[in-house]
Amino acid sequence: MPVSSRGSLDRRRFLAASAGAAFTAAALPGCAASVDSDSDSGGSGKTLTVMTLVNEWDAKTQKSIEKLLDVKLRIVTYDVTKLNAMLASKNPPDVVRGIGATDAPYFAARGLMADLDPYLAKSKVLKPSDLAAANDVWRFDGKKQGAGPRYGLAKDYSQDSMFWYRTDMFEAAGLDLPSATEPLSMDEWLDLGKRLTKRRLGKVKVYGLNATSLGLFSQLMSWTASAGGTLFADDMASVDFSSPEALKALQWYVDYAKADIGPSITNPNPDGWDGPTYQANRMAMSCNGFWFGGVIGGDAKLAAVSRFAPAPQFGSHRVSPCFSGTGFWMPKEAKNKDAAWKLFEWYFADQPAKDRASSGWGLPSLNSLRSLIPRSSAFQKQAYQVQEQDTPYFSVLPVSPYAQVDALNGILSKVLPDAIKSDTKTGKIADALNSRMNEQLARGKELVG
Amino acid sequence: MSTDQLTGPDAEPTAPSPARPAGGRPGSRRAPRPHSLRARRAGAFYLFTGPWVLGFLGLTAYPLGYALWLSFTNSDGLSPNARFVGLANYREVFSDPDTLASLARTGLFAAITVPLTIVAGLILALLLNQPIRARGLFRTLLYLPAVVPPVGAALTFKLIFDRDSGSANGLLDLFGVNGLAWLGDPYARYVLIMLTVWGVGNIMIISLAGLQDIPRELLDAARVDGASQWQSLTRIILPLLSPVLFFQLVTQLIMTLQTFVPLLISLDPTPKGVGAVPESNYLIMIDVFSQYFANGRYGYASALLWVLFLFIMLVTFVVFRLSKGAVFYSVDPEQAKPKTRTIGDK
Repeated sequence: MPVSSRGSLDRRRFLAASAGAAFTAAALPGCAASVDSDSDSGGSGKTLTVMTLVNEWDAKTQKSIEKLLDVKLRIVTYDVTKLNAMLASKNPPDVVRGIGATDAPYFAARGLMADLDPYLAKSKVLKPSDLAAANDVWRFDGKKQGAGPRYGLAKDYSQDSMFWYRTDMFEAAGLDLPSATEPLSMDEWLDLGKRLTKRRLGKVKVYGLNATSLGLFSQLMSWTASAGGTLFADDMASVDFSSPEALKALQWYVDYAKADIGPSITNPNPDGWDGPTYQANRMAMSCNGFWFGGVIGGDAKLAAVSRFAPAPQFGSHRVSPCFSGTGFWMPKEAKNKDAAWKLFEWYFADQPAKDRASSGWGLPSLNSLRSLIPRSSAFQKQAYQVQEQDTPYFSVLPVSPYAQVDALNGILSKVLPDAIKSDTKTGKIADALNSRMNEQLARGKELVG
Repeated sequence: MSTDQLTGPDAEPTAPSPARPAGGRPGSRRAPRPHSLRARRAGAFYLFTGPWVLGFLGLTAYPLGYALWLSFTNSDGLSPNARFVGLANYREVFSDPDTLASLARTGLFAAITVPLTIVAGLILALLLNQPIRARGLFRTLLYLPAVVPPVGAALTFKLIFDRDSGSANGLLDLFGVNGLAWLGDPYARYVLIMLTVWGVGNIMIISLAGLQDIPRELLDAARVDGASQWQSLTRIILPLLSPVLFFQLVTQLIMTLQTFVPLLISLDPTPKGVGAVPESNYLIMIDVFSQYFANGRYGYASALLWVLFLFIMLVTFVVFRLSKGAVFYSVDPEQAKPKTRTIGDK
């Protein structure tokens, strides 16, 4: 006789009850979100959830934020997979760290970001007129990036096509130093990279140049723009690598990768970024913006032999864009927006902003803080002067809202290595890129509308 | 003492309990059940299995069902305009050359690494089952790589095999040999295989436990009868170890088909890092991750996962079928049934 009887918990009932409990638990976050969204959104000891880097604030700073904003701070370590899940369940963090240049159009077009303009209009410390132009990477007008409502703010920024170089390596190679005012042509840049590279038995001991520190797709956009063209069509729904300007940019990169003078799509940097390689005297030119001066400035010997230079150009259309503009944004479904805005005001206009501006790790996102950019040492003065001369050439290079830049970079990684190794004609590479990327963009356009 | 109290939980009593008359009509009033040992055992059973069942339903069954639903849509997980696309994603899975190539690559990777790791683990276990000096130390040393977190192991391998600054090429340099681009195509696949085999300690320790379970007297008797070491290995050890080896085969196969290690070697386990995975290591789970989080194709990625899930089920089924006659159980699993406990049982 089985154990079960009507009066006891049999296996079927047990499983049914468990299923009910499990599905209820799975559905609860959604219910909680809808309940909380109607409640008071001010500080008042409520929990403010911030998705950011694990080391964004130390314990002491977190305490002071909690006291200042009258909130309980909950830090969720930044993880794009977790963010997507939280956004999809309509239970997002109140504040999210993000990269304006690449994140803003994608999330804004999907209606996931809160418009900050009403908050800016009321704010006494953050004024739209005081925002540096780089904050425009966080704007999206429904079709294009760079105009329309602001969906986030940059904590700092750099013009990421500029580059740093080692004077000692130039001198050892008997080469003239690049001009601090006139940009190098792309061909000159490549030639210098070749001359500065040192090899031994199939290995590169000293890289002459890393030309793409912050992602290849963004850099190709910049080079195409400097040649006078554009990668995206006006409606942002397709790319065209077959235009003469884009082909020029693509050919340059193929030549660079074939020359094997620095980290590339066929030989990625094992460190993932240039800092360690540059510090270890293994890189002569590093394409990184002003922020990289923070790395260099920490080592007096390295600073003494390092200089900053304007963004190299293809043609007369001088551009010097920002590929990042890292900062914070507020999800549309955030439950505690007023407290989140208080955090914005503190973080972007108060002492943290001043500390960042004076650290040299990037340019301040408020024009009023520009005077704090360090310029006491010769190294800092030179970097500041070069930066000031390149500032007018800043422009937002809009990316499509229909695909994440990671997806476009992924396509470059799939197509280029084989093409570079097999000497495929650039026109054919362009066709392959157009085909794959436009397919990806079409899928996104269908979803976004 | 009633019969209920004397029999095991699954036992069928031979006679109705006096407290519960047999053949009660529907609607007839039942006598109150005594608080029996059997009921308490059932309660304990559900109490202990309950959390697992809840976890299974909430963390496995529900996501599986949700992913199945997603696989019939063109959802990117975030846009409100997703629509039902029927079997289009599944058709694409079987027509997309990139996906088919990554599936084939994954199959090849499993076909190489699963036998390799099991054989390597067995050989190490056989060696460490011998009465050698410092056996404990060797066992510890060989097991250590298995307890290193995969991210740490991947970082170490990345540093060792970096083309320009890695120690592998540094070693070649000493002999005047040109360095290789180990982490690029086509060598990256060999580095991945090495990394997989490097963590063979887990397999070794299970095989070692299986070896130590083999009765010593069987091996002694074989030796007395003049059996060579090879004969002892093939006629006694391997047959008796076959359930352990079979367990390892199944679990390794399932794990290998879902391996995510290539992304760890790229050391940027983010959608951005997917681009740094060389083509020879672009296995199916990398494709799934890329489709979900770089391409935002939740529907297609879910279809990929379901195809992989069914593929793993099929492979496991085939392995079970093929293993019949090759795995020797000391108790026939199909004949074995729980024995009814009675008063006389010891």
